[in-house]
Amino acid sequence: MDLSAVAVQVLAGLTYGMLLFMISVGLSVIFGLMGIVNLAHGVFFVVGAYVAFSVLGAGANFLVALVVAMLAMAVLGTFVERVLLFRSYGDELGQVLLTFGLAFIIADIIKMIWGNRLQSLPTPALVDFSVSLGGVTFPAYRLVVVLVGCLLAVLLWYLESRTRIGAIIRAGVDDRQMVAALGINVTLVFTGVFAFGAALAGLGGVLGGPVLGMYPDMGFEILVLSLIVVVLGGLGTWKGAFVGGILVGMVEIFGQAYFPSLSLVIVFLLMAGVLLVRPAGLFGRSPAA
Amino acid sequence: MTRLSGRRVPWPGVAALALLVLLLPLALPGFGIGIATEIYVMAIFAMSLGLIIGYAGLVSLGHAAFFGAGAYTVALLGERISNTYVLVAAAVAVAALLACVSGALFFRSTGAYFLMLTLAFAQVLFAVAFQAESVTGGSDGMGVAVVPDLGFGEISGELGLYYLMGGAFLVCYVLLRIFVSSPAGRVVKGIMENELRMKALGYNTFSYKLFVYTLAGGVAGFAGALYSYFNLYVTPDLLGWVFSGQALIMVIVGGTGTLLGPAVGAAFFIIVRNYVSFYTEYWAFIMGLIFIFFVLLGRGGIVHLLQAAWRRLSASRSPRRDEEEEPAPEEPAAESARERTP
Repeated sequence: MDLSAVAVQVLAGLTYGMLLFMISVGLSVIFGLMGIVNLAHGVFFVVGAYVAFSVLGAGANFLVALVVAMLAMAVLGTFVERVLLFRSYGDELGQVLLTFGLAFIIADIIKMIWGNRLQSLPTPALVDFSVSLGGVTFPAYRLVVVLVGCLLAVLLWYLESRTRIGAIIRAGVDDRQMVAALGINVTLVFTGVFAFGAALAGLGGVLGGPVLGMYPDMGFEILVLSLIVVVLGGLGTWKGAFVGGILVGMVEIFGQAYFPSLSLVIVFLLMAGVLLVRPAGLFGRSPAA
Repeated sequence: MTRLSGRRVPWPGVAALALLVLLLPLALPGFGIGIATEIYVMAIFAMSLGLIIGYAGLVSLGHAAFFGAGAYTVALLGERISNTYVLVAAAVAVAALLACVSGALFFRSTGAYFLMLTLAFAQVLFAVAFQAESVTGGSDGMGVAVVPDLGFGEISGELGLYYLMGGAFLVCYVLLRIFVSSPAGRVVKGIMENELRMKALGYNTFSYKLFVYTLAGGVAGFAGALYSYFNLYVTPDLLGWVFSGQALIMVIVGGTGTLLGPAVGAAFFIIVRNYVSFYTEYWAFIMGLIFIFFVLLGRGGIVHLLQAAWRRLSASRSPRRDEEEEPAPEEPAAESARERTP
């Protein structure tokens, strides 16, 4: 095996892993905090990419498109949480099903607006070059994605362990009723987390656009992978999403390169193996039955 | 009616259903027969999913795995074997085995974890069917070379297929009905309502759940086998999660906690799909809206709505007797599905 080829694969795996991290972390925290498996989360990822596509088409630069897409997803997330999910609090299955129906609807809306073709975002000109490191050339854009992912991880670490809102969310994951009893407006926290998670999915979608491209039904495929990431990493923790994302990203990329006929199966086996050893995922705590 | 006492098989209702299946072709235009045939196949599939959701509280997003496994079994083995009984039995066995093994692994997890695991499991089978191009034709799918033959000649005409699938649907309904109202079926329902209580009563809840999951898998595999005979073509989409999701929509829209509800939902789904796709290609959009409507409505599916309407009607006519005649199954299931907390 050529070592520089392996290095390129590692970067590709890391890039993919970071994108999975960006989408999974919202899914994971929403699940951990609110008990909702948001099956529309994958669709948020794709819509984010398409919004950026339109904004770029209107002549804006990549950064503006990124910000607009994230804001749009935050608005969409707020809408979904306030208007749809809010009606069925306490009915977790109902919420899962609602987001599922929503995924169908949004996927069709994408087809109506942007058509059925495979599209992709252009790599932003500023980072559209290659970097040579020790005789291996890397696309700079991928390094940027990895960097953003790491920054996001640091930010989430800071939010979680150093801020009041992080403390509230951590407490909420453990015991929602107790947090509410402390006089904290839990519904507001829920909406905020949902919107934030949706915005992060949008971030992943836009950053993934130049690498992965996008098509209307992509949300479903991304969703499956990010569900695996969440299960693998453990619920409700950014650490789980981070490590799980990198693991799944690496396995996906190396699987595609060396065992192309088995890629999804390998990821699944990885998940099954981890769950056999740790039923609540790598960083999840076993629920006290 | 106490909570745990399922009803006996309502034979008058079955007879009415049989009459409906028998006479429906007289009232249908030509293309309607094909649609009705598809409805029977999907109704069996939806009933099997409805069984584990409404009677065991196991919500799966990967139920298509068993349907697709049955369909592919007939398609693949059909290249060598032509005996319908052997093929269908093999399809049921393969699907039931898959359900038994995967269920045994996944029941450690509950609720949303279970949902994800079933989804991932189906997705793996999808990937296998998709990527094993030399065997399955990959994304293009493969043709089915066999024709059903129950021992009195090949059944190939449209009406013949209609009655075959209609009969299969009736048989499945009666068998599931018998199971649901059997002691074992009641235990399963008791587990859904309060697993700890049933454990305390000494029941091995794990094996009851596994049994009902295996049964549902086998029935889904049976539906898949029928689908192969009906459609004469199978693609990996039959294993995919969108297809699983459609079955879930059928169950929810029709009504959980009942056996016929999912079948009604299947009919509704297929009719709407055919009708809507006549006007627009965005039928998923319409289905999604309808689905959300039914979820927001609370515990109602079509069957529950009909039940409520019937009850109001009969109550206004004669306030005394309202529970006796209603043919629809026990109601508290949907209620208890929401009470249960993982």
